[in-house]
Formats: sequence, C-alpha cells, structure tokens
Amino acid sequence: MRNSSLSHSCPFTARNAGSSQQIPGAGPRLVPLWLLCVSCVIAAGVEGVSRAWADMPAAGEAAASRESAGSSSEALAVEPSRIELHDLFAGRQLLVTCYGSDATRAARYASADPRVAEVDAAGYVSARGSGETEISVRVGEAECTVRVVVSAVGEGGVDFANEIVPIFSRYGCNSGGCHGKASGQNGFRLSLFGFDAGFDYQALVQQARGRRVFPAAAERSLLLLKATGQVPHGGGKRFEPESEAYGQLVRWIREGLPAARPDAPRLQGVEVLPAQAVLQPGKTQQLCVLAHYSDGSVRDVTRRCEYASNLDVVASIDAEGLVAAAGKVGEAAIMARYLGQVAVCRVLVPRSAPLAEIAGFEPANYVDRLCAEKWKKLGLLPSPPCDDAAFLRRVTLDVCGRLPTVEEVRAFLSLTDRDKRVQAVERLLASEDHAAFMAMRWGTILRNSHLAGSERAAYAFHNWLKDLFARNRPYDELVRGVVAAAGEWQDAPAINWYWQMRDDQLHQVTADTAQVFLGVRLACARCHHHPYERWSQEDYFGLAGFFTRLGRKSFGEPPPYFAAPQPTTGEVNPLTGRTPQPKFLNGEYVECGPDEDPRQLLVDWMVRPDNPYFAKVLVNRLWGHFFGQGLVNEVDDMRETNPPSNPELLDALAQDFISHGFDLRHIIRTIVNSRVYQLSSEPTSANAEDRQNFARFYARRLIAEVLLDAVDAATGSKTRFPNTSSRSRAIDLPHEGFGSYFLDAFDRPRRVTGCECERSSAATLAQVLLLANSDEIENKLADGQGRVARAVASGASDEVIIEELYLATLSRFPSEAERAQALGYVAGQADAGPAARQQALQDVLWALLNSKEFLFNH
Amino acid sequence: MLLFTGRGTKTCDGVSRRRFLCVGSLGLGGLSLADLLRHEAHAREAGRPVRRKSVILIWLAGGPSHLDMYDLKPAAPAEIRGEFRPIATNVPGIEISEHLPLQAQVMDRMAIVRSACHTNAGHGMGSQWMMTGYHATIEVNDNIYPSCGSVAARLAGPNDPALPAYVNLPRPVSFSKAAYLGASYNPFAPESDPNDPNFQVRNLKSPGRVDAARLSRRRELLKSIDNIRRDLDTRGDLQSLDKFYVDAMDLVTSGKAQQAFDISQEDAAVRDRYGRNDLGQCCLLARRLVEAGVTFVAIQAGGGWDTHGNNFQILKESLLPRYDRAVAALVSDLSERGLHEDVLVIAMGEFGRTPRINSGAGRDHWPGAMSVLYSGGGLKMGQVVGSTNRNAEYPTSRPCSPGCVLATVYHVLGIDYHHVFYDQANRPLPVLAEGQPIAELVG
Repeated sequence: MRNSSLSHSCPFTARNAGSSQQIPGAGPRLVPLWLLCVSCVIAAGVEGVSRAWADMPAAGEAAASRESAGSSSEALAVEPSRIELHDLFAGRQLLVTCYGSDATRAARYASADPRVAEVDAAGYVSARGSGETEISVRVGEAECTVRVVVSAVGEGGVDFANEIVPIFSRYGCNSGGCHGKASGQNGFRLSLFGFDAGFDYQALVQQARGRRVFPAAAERSLLLLKATGQVPHGGGKRFEPESEAYGQLVRWIREGLPAARPDAPRLQGVEVLPAQAVLQPGKTQQLCVLAHYSDGSVRDVTRRCEYASNLDVVASIDAEGLVAAAGKVGEAAIMARYLGQVAVCRVLVPRSAPLAEIAGFEPANYVDRLCAEKWKKLGLLPSPPCDDAAFLRRVTLDVCGRLPTVEEVRAFLSLTDRDKRVQAVERLLASEDHAAFMAMRWGTILRNSHLAGSERAAYAFHNWLKDLFARNRPYDELVRGVVAAAGEWQDAPAINWYWQMRDDQLHQVTADTAQVFLGVRLACARCHHHPYERWSQEDYFGLAGFFTRLGRKSFGEPPPYFAAPQPTTGEVNPLTGRTPQPKFLNGEYVECGPDEDPRQLLVDWMVRPDNPYFAKVLVNRLWGHFFGQGLVNEVDDMRETNPPSNPELLDALAQDFISHGFDLRHIIRTIVNSRVYQLSSEPTSANAEDRQNFARFYARRLIAEVLLDAVDAATGSKTRFPNTSSRSRAIDLPHEGFGSYFLDAFDRPRRVTGCECERSSAATLAQVLLLANSDEIENKLADGQGRVARAVASGASDEVIIEELYLATLSRFPSEAERAQALGYVAGQADAGPAARQQALQDVLWALLNSKEFLFNH
Repeated sequence: MLLFTGRGTKTCDGVSRRRFLCVGSLGLGGLSLADLLRHEAHAREAGRPVRRKSVILIWLAGGPSHLDMYDLKPAAPAEIRGEFRPIATNVPGIEISEHLPLQAQVMDRMAIVRSACHTNAGHGMGSQWMMTGYHATIEVNDNIYPSCGSVAARLAGPNDPALPAYVNLPRPVSFSKAAYLGASYNPFAPESDPNDPNFQVRNLKSPGRVDAARLSRRRELLKSIDNIRRDLDTRGDLQSLDKFYVDAMDLVTSGKAQQAFDISQEDAAVRDRYGRNDLGQCCLLARRLVEAGVTFVAIQAGGGWDTHGNNFQILKESLLPRYDRAVAALVSDLSERGLHEDVLVIAMGEFGRTPRINSGAGRDHWPGAMSVLYSGGGLKMGQVVGSTNRNAEYPTSRPCSPGCVLATVYHVLGIDYHHVFYDQANRPLPVLAEGQPIAELVG
C-alpha cells in the first residue's frame, strides 16, 4: 500500500495555491465553494510516512503550503477539510490519501447529520439542507473529520448555460452522433457539444411549439419523458428520474425556464486533481474536477463532466472520476471535459519502483538523458544496442529512403573505427539520396501533385524542395517559401501548394498551414468550437485572415499568384459577417497595410523564437520520421489533451532547433546519433510493454516508395516509370501521377491532404498476393539482367550467391544456420540441372523478399 | 506516444463501443484484424443470426437517367419525356421503360425507390455522397469517408473466412475505398474482365513459372528463414501481415477462392443468360462470390451512363439492353437458388439526369431526383416507393436521402449505422450522418 517514492506532485497542495480564498462579490446564482485546503492530519507517528512526503518534488508554493500544514507524517489526509455548499445541487468529492496513496474508495464515510449533507461510499458529499455537520472519514484505525456548511439553499435559480447545458454534454445528447449534428436528430437539434447556449435555449423552449418543456407540469415535459425512456427515444434512456440531472432539469422548468443570464459568471477553466498520479498495477485513483468561474467561484463538477482516457489499456476512467490502472505499463492521459473546457490528469503506471539508474546505458546526448529519465520513472530498461548491420540498414532507410548496397554493408561491417556510425550518418546526410527522400516526404504533405495541368510545376516544386534539403537551408526558409509563395511557378514553384487547394482555397490553406506548420488541427473550428481544445471559430477565422488577399492571374497552370491590396475572397467570418481579419493564434490582431503581404507577417510570427508551435511540430515530425511515431502522436496533432510522451525531450529538441537557426540536419544528427535511436528492436522482458517511451526501436513496414525501390535493388531489376529518366526510382518521382500497381497496393498517398496519416501501413490481401504470387515480382526474380542471373553468370558458388542475396535484402550476413538452410535447399534442387539451380536461387530470393525482416525497418 | 482518441463513452443508442474500438490496438493500422476477430466474437456472444447476408451493388457510374428507366413521365411535354414509352410489368400498376422488358417480368422481386435525391451535381461529390452517405465539403477524387462496402468489411467481415469481405468487379469502383477505416478495408479487385476468355484474378493464380510444387517449396523455405520476432512493432502490423499472408496463400492454394472466381465453371447457358459482356459476367461472378462467402460486391456497370449527348440512342442500343439482361438474370438466378432473401441487389448511380433534354439529345446531371433499384435481401418487393413531380424533377412524396438509401443496405446486413468511427483527427463520425432505413422496404 505504501509507496515511498511517489513522484507526482501533491494534489492537495498543488491546488491550494490557486483556490483557497473566497472571492468577494460572487453572484448569488453560482455560489463559490470555500475550499479550505489544509490537510487533515490525524494519527501521526506512523513510520516512514515522512519520507514519502519528502520524496515528492517540492516545488515552490506546494512545498510551502505543505509545511504550513505542519505535516511531517500523515497516515491519513482528507481533502478538503472543510466544505461550504450553497445549493442543493452542489457537492464535493473528497480525496483521501493514506500513506501517500489514494484511499478514497477504501475509506468509510459517515455524516453526523444526513439532513444537512450526505456522503456516499465513493466519498462524494451532497448538500441536503441548510445547516452544519461533520463527515467522518475512517481508514483502518485512522480517522478524521470534514466540516460541512450548507447555506443559502433555495436562493437563486438555475442558470441555463452553467447548469443545464452541461447535462446535455454529460449524457451525450449534443454529441455529433445525436442531436449535436448539423441535421439534428428527428427534428431536435442542439449546438454541438453545447458551445451555443442561446441556440440550445431556443431549441428547447421555443421550437416544436414549446412541447419539449412544460412548466405547468415539469415532469410531463417531452424532454424528460424522452431522456428517461418513459416515451420511446431513439437514444434510449439517458438518466433516471432519481438522478441529479433530472432534478436539476425539473427545477429549471418549474422556475419558468429562465434563459442564460448575461451577467451570470462564465466558466473560465477546469482543473483536475490530482494533475498527475502514479498508480501501481491494480490500484485506483479518485479524481476531483473543479470548475473555475469568472467571478472567482469554484464548483465541483466531478460528476458532471465527461471523461476519456487516451489509453484505457493503461488506465481507465469511470463516470464518477475513478481512474483504475488497467494492467498495461505506460502512461495515460485522462481528459476531463466540461462545457468545452478540458483538463488532463497524467497517470503513470510503472513496471516497478523507480530506478536509480539505467545500468550500462551511457547517454550520448540529451536525447538519451531525457529518455533515460523517463525510463527510470516507469521502471523500464532499454533493449541493448542494435548491431552494426541493423544500424546501417535502419539509418540508410531513414536518412536516404533506400537499402544500403551490398558493397556499403560489406565496407561498413569491416570498419573498425570507433566512430564509424557517426561517419556513416555524415556520409548519408551529405548524399543526394537524403535530399531526394526528404523532398518526397515533404512533397507528399505539401500536396505536390500534377493535377490541374501542373505537371511542370510539380517537377519544379519537387526540385525546389530537393535543392533546399541538399543545401541544408534553414527550415524557416522552406516555410516562408511555401506559405508566402508569390509569382510565377517558374520562380516560385511552391505556388503549386496553393493551386492544388484552389477549389476551397481559403479554408484548405488555413487548415493546412495550421496542421503542417503549427501542428494544430484547426479544421473543426471552422464550424464549431474545437471539442477538445480551446480553438474557437474566432481563432480559425483569425488565421484565415492572413490568406484573404491572395490573388491569382487568369492564365497559366498554375497561374501566377500575388498579394492583392484588397480582399480577393468573398468568404466572410460568420461571427462578424465581414472578411476575416488577420489574428495570430496567440490572440493578437494584426494591422496590415495594403502594400504588405499579410502572409509575410504570419511567417514572421511563426518563426519567432517564442512561437510555441513552430519548432515543436517540426522536431516532433522528425522524431516521428525516425522513430515511426512522434513524441506527440499523431505528429501534427499537438494539443493539451494529447500530451507528449516526454515533454522535456520535446522542449529540449525544440530549443535546440531554435538555437541552431532551424538547422534540420543538426536535429537529424542529434536524433540518429543518440543511443535511443540505436537500440535493438527486440523487446526484453523489461520493456516488452513499452509503446510510448522508445525503450526499444519500434519496427515499421517500409513505406510504398521505399519498398518498391528496395525490391528493385534487391532483385537488381529496376522498375521503369514513364517519361522519367531510366535511373529514376520511386522516391525520385515528383508527384503521385506515375501509374504503378505496386505503389498503389502499398498505399502511396494521393497527396490530397496535408496529414501524414494519409499513409497507412495496414496490410491488405492485394499486397501479399503481389509480393508472393505476382508476375511483377516473378519477372524481377527471373530477370535475365537481374541479381540472380548475373551472379550465376559470374560463376559464383552457391554460398557466395546466397551471401550476396542476404546482403542485398536483409543487409546482413546469413547466420550459419540460415546459410546451411539455404545451401541445402539449393543443393536439393540443383541436381536437376543448371536451370533448376538458378530457379532455386530465385526461390531463396523470393523467400527473403517475403520475409518480415525485409518488409520492415527494424 | 500518447494517442488521445477523445473517444466519447457513448453513442446515440447508449452503447459504449469505446473498448471495442480501443482495447489491444494502438493505432489505426493495427485496429483492423484484431477488431474483426473481436467483432466476430462479439457477434457470437450476442447470438446474432447465423444466416449471413450479403450485398451486390451495381454502380451505374456517370448517373443513370431515371426518366428513361424507372420513372417515365408519358404525360410530360416532349422535351421532357423523351422518346421511350412505359410498359407494364408483372406487378399491376407499376410501369417501367420499354427498354427494360426482362426486368419488367421480375418486377415482383424488385422494388423501385423513385424519390431518392440529394443536392450535388458533381460526379465526385455525388458519388462520394451516394457511396458513403456523407456530403464532402471538397471535390477530391478519393474517399474522404469510407464507402458502404468498406464499412461492411469492417463491421460485418467476410461470410466465409477463406474469402475477402469486400470485392469490386472488375476493377476498383470510384469512391469505393475505406478512408479512415484503414487500407485493409479497401476492396479487393481481380483487375481483369470476367467476360475475357483469359479472365484471371490478378495475382491469384500462380505466375507461369511457378507451379504448385515450387510454390509449396517456397512456402516451406520461407517458413524456415522468416524468423524475425513478431513483436517488434507497436501496431500489430507484423502479426497482421502474417495473417494476411496465410489468408493470401490459402486463397492461392486452397481452391475455395479460386473456385469462386472461376467463372468458367458456369454453364454456357447461364453465362449467356447474364449476357456475354462485362456487366453480365460481373453480375454472374458476383453471385458466385456471395454464394462462396463474400459479404459485399460492388460492380462497375461499364461507363457511359453520363449521357450528355445522344442519350436515347446510347441507352437503347447499348446500355439498357445489357443492364436489363444482367439485372433480370441476377434477380431470377438468386431466387431460383433460394438466395433471394439473403442477398440484396441494389443498382444506382451518383445522381439522376435533367428532365429537360438538351440540344444534343442528351440529359445532364440532376441530383434532385433519381431512382434506386432494390431486389431481395428480405426487403418488401414488388412495389414503388415515393414519387416525383410531373417532370420528374423533385420528389413529391417520401424523399430519400443518400443516408436513407444506405441505411436500408446496412439494415439488411445487420450493421448498426449509428456506430461511431473516429477519423485521423479523432472526430467521431457515425457510419451514417443521417438517414433511416426506408420504412416501406424494411416493413
């Protein structure tokens, strides 16, 4: 039960700093809760507890207030120690800690006067009537009490926006699948996720001839009959007539359906307590969620908000805010959402007690140090380093998008220099293949396509990107070249980015700029407040405001683009009815003269060192490129509710990127020279469950273009693409328009979105049939100029050829067993003559091509 | 990595599917196979009917002319009604085009919805809408939302595990892909015309140089050298590739799929009955496939339905005779084989065509009204649902949105169309944005 090394910050004291005073002048409608946060200490003298506290990170105020509470050894702490409730619908979740671990569900509760306040087994206190009482909390022998004051019951009414709308969110009524969708559900429509209380009020009170709510007999209101399943409801029964939600709705209807009061305090934010928790497998943690209002008042919404866990195999959450470690080791983010405000509790389920050190792991740079810190917390141990052959294959695939050649493998394996891996990285980064591969990856998310007559522009855009990467130009130069592209395609080929989005230019460019360069998926906010984030329509149209003056000529494909002095779009911001005005995502509006290009101002803001998005999304994208998944995943979906698995590492990479002038190769070097990147992909018992913290290298299937090139290289039989040079490989193709069944079968992106997620690594039947059973592959295996044919013609022995086949496919020498296996196979067939021998060697190559080791970067 | 799914805990009907979607799978890529297995286990637990349903969608790409097929307006002015005359069918009171005489004889096993409609007259947007139930906001040439066949593959799976769940004939149909459901639910297509005497499913038959003995030797060799651990990745791709590998080799070697696709096993008379053309033979092949255990077959019914010019000549000389024969043969054949209740045939395109005939004797795009043909699947047959105004411009009764058209299909398959998927941005997207099964059909 006791966890002497809790590593999360103390939930009680952390909150104490912000909310322990009553705010004067709070409106009567939303009565503030007086939250006294002094820990209740009884039963001192239990050994070792003081150490548990002392091990907690003691940051500033938290530590100070802990000391002021005078606790040096607490067996039992209850939070808060005093509760004031001013409303029959108000309540408060108690949080009980015993020896530093959550004991809220283990504790036994009793109310001295249930007519004033009741408490249930989960430690939730509900107001019942005016007066004062005490709640006793017992865990084993330890006991303490919580004072409860209930006053002003019945004064003030129900506020529609603050108290009624949340019910529709909590019970899913206003979700996108039900009444929240644009067409409503059976004629009843609510605003999506309750962001428009005025709309919802109209819908309930004034539409449907007022039959949805019925003040004369509140219980007969259609709203309540449907929601409780007393009359048929497509959405089934949502709550019971005994529930608090029901009671609140009845009261609101009886009070004569008051609309949201414009002066009612508005929700400013929610807070979840604790903000972090470390849970041993099988244990639980009660959460408490507090809503903070514009008048400074605070209200417990633990049972009114919605919860979601991003990884419920690690930690699950129920409707009453109880987190349970679900079995898997790792870290989950538990989101609490209330009226569009969200807060996150990060729950760590470690494999073991924290580790003091990672034996045998020598950090090469800060990437290693920061990963190791995280492993220590989780009790993970990294896999051993990968061998040289695996390293060369991995880094060549990731840096250059190709397999190492047979000669490269042989040369690398025979080197004895201590820094041969560093040398290899430098050689690969300086090669033309690196630039080609990066240009292909970026061309994909920058939608470089040949459609709409832009064949030549697509080539030019591809070459422009390739040239930037070849010269390792700073990343901000690339971004400015794209986002502020102007002129003819010959001079500014990046205008193809705009041209490919011409049909819905303002909106697609806005959404792509946000997602590709800022890591913000803003598209939701075009129509409604982002459901999980703070982005509103105002933010969306603020960003759109930078693109309203983009003009294009009426000739050419793509036509020349220019910045016009006046708006060129007829689109308006629905909130103002006017052309969107430029506003940065940090909320600042921008003045932009008629001779300025607003997009230049946008890029100026993006590349500022204090921009919170720009550098992070790029380093995260690069991390995703080299590790198969970002520190934030998806790589371009950075938001509070989707936290990075290692925030310190993400910050350090971003700072490094900024202080090195957006030098892409510097970050790539830092990543691929780290020990973390060079770990073996083979799981050990100490990290088999790890899926977030890179304690081993996560294998992944080669992407379509790289796989086709790998097949070509391994078989020595090159695929020809029409109208390109005979040396052009799949990664050299400037756009998606080169017909190839192979590339399509392996899900080559169509380049119709700026999202990396357009690539799928999911297996299909057609892929396997193609690799294992197609004329296309068979012709390559049997190519008269191919690898097997040439090797046989050279007069090489079976053994030499088999070794070459292994080097060409798996980039390593065969093991003795593998060598013997393949030799035996060929020898068994070769009796039938030279043709049969050649076929047998083709069979070996076929088997290698179809092996998972070939298909995966591991 | 922290995958924040944001998956709400409830759906419209109050069922939490969150666990079903999330547990044990850590990304879109890995969801596929495990999900399928879980779903099947789930379905068994729930004691669902064992009798498996399937769908054959005949996709009339380009937009078939409702006025000249199923919704003739003999009383309309000449520039509207065109040159075709209605004929009686074997259901009293229902008339269809004189160029669909074979279908007229099986009308009692078909139902026509005359009041399907939407509002987008672009091929891409219209096709996306009819195929997915979603009205896209941008014109692209690929699925933004998953096609109904992909949804069926994902939620129902194949009726026989030795066969793919979702097949397109002869090639992938436009907007037939899986979008955010993942590439594993894209259609499988033979990429070859079954009317061609050399018809072969792409890569299903062993390449010429590789006989069965050699293939089996290769498999043994592969088994012995393919020793990399299967737990090296985080998404389950390695394992699911293994599973597909086994499936694929079974397809190649087991004979069950080979047989199902081997249209040459059909009697010449049966093949003639469907018509010796791509559409006819695709319909016949579709019947073989659903019999063997494919859940959803979509057929590209040739091209050419986009009759901007010379509408009447094209329809009566080439499109309608082949279409009439193929559909009538399929409907009759299915009922003769006792499959009528289990197999739904549906024929439609992305929209109807303009009532007013243009100067080139053609008709242009018209989403305001279109006809959709249903047959079998346990639906109520021998009826016409809905009606259009005197010029067949708009529904005058029972307007049916694309969502209604597809909800009816999902109803037949036993698929909950409220089920919520999550796209790459973790937006919750129900199978259908709107629509309910057409009451007159589902009874």
